Amino acid sequence: MVSSTIFAAEKEIKIGVIYPLSGALATIGRDLQRAAELTADELVNNKNPNVDTLMAKWGGIPSLGGAKIKLIFADSRGEPDRGADLAKRLILDDKVVGLMGAYQSAVTKTVSAVAERYGIPMINDSSTSPDLTRRGFKWFWRTTPHDEYFDKDLFELLKGLTEGKVKGVKTVPKDQLKNLTYACENTEWGSSVAKDLERFAKEYGFNIVKGLLYSANAPDLTSEAQAVVAAKPDSMLFASYLSDSILMIRTLKGMKASPHLFWGQDAGFEMADFPRMLGADTNGVLTRTVFIAKLAKVKKVAGQINELYKKKYGDDLTGATARSVVGVQTWAYVLNRAASTDPKALQKACNEIDIPGYELVMPWDGIKFDATGQNIKGRGLIGQYQWKEGKAELEIIYPFDLASANMIYPFPGWK
Amino acid sequence: MGEGGGRKLPAMIILDAILQGILMGLLFALVALGLTIIFGVMDIVNFAHGEFLMIGMYAAYWTSLLLHVDPLVTLPASAVVGMLLGLASYYWLVKYLIRGPMIAQLFGTFGLMLFLRYLAQFLFGTDYRIIQKGLLVGKSLSLGPFILDWTKLSTAVLSLLAFLLVYYLLHRTKLGKALRATALNKEAAAYMGIRTDRMNAFAWMIGGGTVGIAGGLLVNFWYVYPTVGLLFLMIAFASVAMGGFGSIKGAFFAGIIIGMIEMLFPVFGHLIGWDFLGPQFKFTVVYFAYFIIVVLRPQGLFGWKR
Amino acid sequence: METLKDAFDFSDFSRIERIILVLFSIFLLVFPWLGFGSFVKTVMIYFLLFSLFGMGWNTIGGYGGQVELGKAQYVGIGAYTVALLMVWWRIPFWVSMPIGVLIAIGYSFIIGYPLFRLKGHYFAIATICTSLVLQDIFINWKLVGAAKGIELPIRDHPDFLYMQFKSDTYYFYFIMALFYAALFYMNWFRKSRLGYQLRMIKDDEEAAESLGIDARWCKIKAYSIASAFVAVGGGFLAVYNLYIDPYSVMDLDLSIKIALMAMLGGAASMWGPIIGAAFLIPLDRFLGSWLGAQKGLIGVDFMIYAAMIMAVSAYQPRGIWGIIEQFRKRGA
Repeated sequence: MVSSTIFAAEKEIKIGVIYPLSGALATIGRDLQRAAELTADELVNNKNPNVDTLMAKWGGIPSLGGAKIKLIFADSRGEPDRGADLAKRLILDDKVVGLMGAYQSAVTKTVSAVAERYGIPMINDSSTSPDLTRRGFKWFWRTTPHDEYFDKDLFELLKGLTEGKVKGVKTVPKDQLKNLTYACENTEWGSSVAKDLERFAKEYGFNIVKGLLYSANAPDLTSEAQAVVAAKPDSMLFASYLSDSILMIRTLKGMKASPHLFWGQDAGFEMADFPRMLGADTNGVLTRTVFIAKLAKVKKVAGQINELYKKKYGDDLTGATARSVVGVQTWAYVLNRAASTDPKALQKACNEIDIPGYELVMPWDGIKFDATGQNIKGRGLIGQYQWKEGKAELEIIYPFDLASANMIYPFPGWK
Repeated sequence: MGEGGGRKLPAMIILDAILQGILMGLLFALVALGLTIIFGVMDIVNFAHGEFLMIGMYAAYWTSLLLHVDPLVTLPASAVVGMLLGLASYYWLVKYLIRGPMIAQLFGTFGLMLFLRYLAQFLFGTDYRIIQKGLLVGKSLSLGPFILDWTKLSTAVLSLLAFLLVYYLLHRTKLGKALRATALNKEAAAYMGIRTDRMNAFAWMIGGGTVGIAGGLLVNFWYVYPTVGLLFLMIAFASVAMGGFGSIKGAFFAGIIIGMIEMLFPVFGHLIGWDFLGPQFKFTVVYFAYFIIVVLRPQGLFGWKR
Repeated sequence: METLKDAFDFSDFSRIERIILVLFSIFLLVFPWLGFGSFVKTVMIYFLLFSLFGMGWNTIGGYGGQVELGKAQYVGIGAYTVALLMVWWRIPFWVSMPIGVLIAIGYSFIIGYPLFRLKGHYFAIATICTSLVLQDIFINWKLVGAAKGIELPIRDHPDFLYMQFKSDTYYFYFIMALFYAALFYMNWFRKSRLGYQLRMIKDDEEAAESLGIDARWCKIKAYSIASAFVAVGGGFLAVYNLYIDPYSVMDLDLSIKIALMAMLGGAASMWGPIIGAAFLIPLDRFLGSWLGAQKGLIGVDFMIYAAMIMAVSAYQPRGIWGIIEQFRKRGA
């Protein structure tokens, strides 16, 4: 059998990362690339005195003789078949030891299928479609919680409102929140969110009065917005990417919509551009997210790593970029635990790994994969944009014990 | 879904949809105008028409942003850019395409479409942009129970003006009459001393200019990104087919009808309770409409060409 | 009367063409063993696949003279049939593929009948419309997976029943076999009665009609043949990528690429679509991978193709093959 010393002789460990670096989601893709690169450079490969994690003291992978991680990026352009080709190239030609990516669930599907065929481990940092861990794959692990967790969080929040558990809000009678509408973009992602919303609504005793799927590239959402408003919901729920979320809000603003609660499922609602473009119009909007800069208040490491990113690129980490960070962090830990780059050893390491929460930038309990490859120690957050002193700040509203400010309820609407 | 409390009556919803439809429709009509003029004069379908629109949108966007002027004032810039684009396309490409078979013409303008689209992607990136600051941006007018977006309203009015202007140009000026003569019968017009070549270029200039203006108006409430042209190209085809290839009046009415179809369709689906026919198919219906019209009545409503 | 032998009879091509064909075939046979990287292999596979698509398009677009831009819907029909039949009822590829072809042919007759009342530009635009309509329907139709698409379950060993393999080499020979089947078919087709009728129609439809040829019916037949070809390719895509969705197999861009390749290479010629694919596929895949990840150069690959298309349309509408023929005439 090959011993770890032979593999340790490689001073560079190559990991293939597939993101949409051009095409419609290029902005997100490039942000993810930057976050991943930063993590590899400043957190794994070099010692960092400013961050209080064990990893920051490594300067390379300890059990592999200080070998450095080298990320090889490939542009999927958001196309699943291109993603598959790139995966093959990374595995067969570039000889990467593992893969990471690919943001869009559709691309992740084909990329992971290639990894599964070739027996190369893939860690999925950023795709939230629940289907991905339901395929019985043996070479696929996902660090991020998937959409079901997030959608459930929303209903926990709604329930919490009716039970008086939300910071700064008196108990809300259930019929003030009962009727829900949703409008989700119609690809893979949005349509599974829609399915979850229907399911949880039934479970928690809420009423979906209108639900629709729309084309994410539809530049005009008037009819959709009208349909939503016409149903007179108490709460409006959305799953949108950036441009459609902005358009939706603008359109609804034009109609003077006034639900009691307005929630967006991450993606568009979470990006730095969202509050930048809409300014005060975001006041009161809730968004599911995984990471908010405000976490620094409750978790020091989060703040420290955020500072690294902010110093280099000027923006705070968002839920998407923070997950890239975690992806690379996880790879580093897996490599370290395996003490080898042999695929079987890596597979074993992934199945057994248990990274403690305090090592991660995320406010999670840690990283531990269940039998389907899903990380069961992750959690989502629900944040709310609050307009203070000319700036839109994202405050944590859920989980209740991490709340960083009082929730604005009901949704103030637009005058 | 209870009674009262501001829930709109079906009649109101329909009326609202019709109103919105007319507003959008006027813009569609303006977009279709350029396409129909070029076809009328040269028998060429400009596949790059949607891209001309897109460039008009970018022109307005960048002018407004870089010169810090209100978007309404940037319309001349869009018009000029559109006209230059039309002229350049004619003299550098289309002139050579007409010598070849139809397949070459089709692919030629197709190639132009792809070229412009990816040039835009190269120059401006794939980010979605929209006018953020302006006198009318984000404001609405309340007319009784109807809420109308100021940008859409001004777009509709300006589109109408542009249409009338072009109509006047074509029917009351010597140049316009010469153009129409060439469209009707280019050999006869040539015998009368009207240079076909010049008229062709002129057609492309007007075609580009009008759709450029349409773009300048559109970008106030519609995102611009490199591939935005395709949807409008298809809408323009449907409008031109419905109105009759080569007919200006046709483009006008057909554009408005299509605008109304787009808005009414989801309402229709909702009212008959069959929600599957929802907003996600609002453009599908337009494509379908093109197909039906062209098969059943190729000359459209007012068509006189073939 | 045309016989099966006609499919293999290339004698009406020049010596050089036949020699090149033989050399090329030998090259293809040994290609996987020549030690190229996996990326090059995938490029070759797509090259053969798109040659297949292009040859199919050629029956109606080239020989038939009616430019159509809606082939992607048939790729989708082929791909979805294979995928759905496998996922729902575990039907093997060899059964589901012919079913897909039959559905494609059936659909093409239904659409073809009204479609072929149109000509020229109207026709081209109408084909785009039908493809967009079908795509929109699939995007919203839950039964076929809507926008989520269909994922084919992975099977372990080389599986000839469901056509799933670990190594690209198997896929390469598979698509190569399909490619040759298509090539021989096209060779037969152009010498068949339908082939001649189409050419007559293309030259002068009225004259052909006066000779008793039902132009519309001929075109519909050619259109169906094209659809069948393309559906086969679609089935291949389903088992190659193991994931399909309306955006990847039914997109307008795909229709455009197919038509473009055939036209660029030279429509209405045997080799045209193959030459076109040989130019554009490597351009697409390689440039895409070199230029994509670096910020400033997005879209340059398409700009190059577009410029090529414009140049060819303006100067040599018969495509690259037309240019080659021009040289030959001058030389010989």
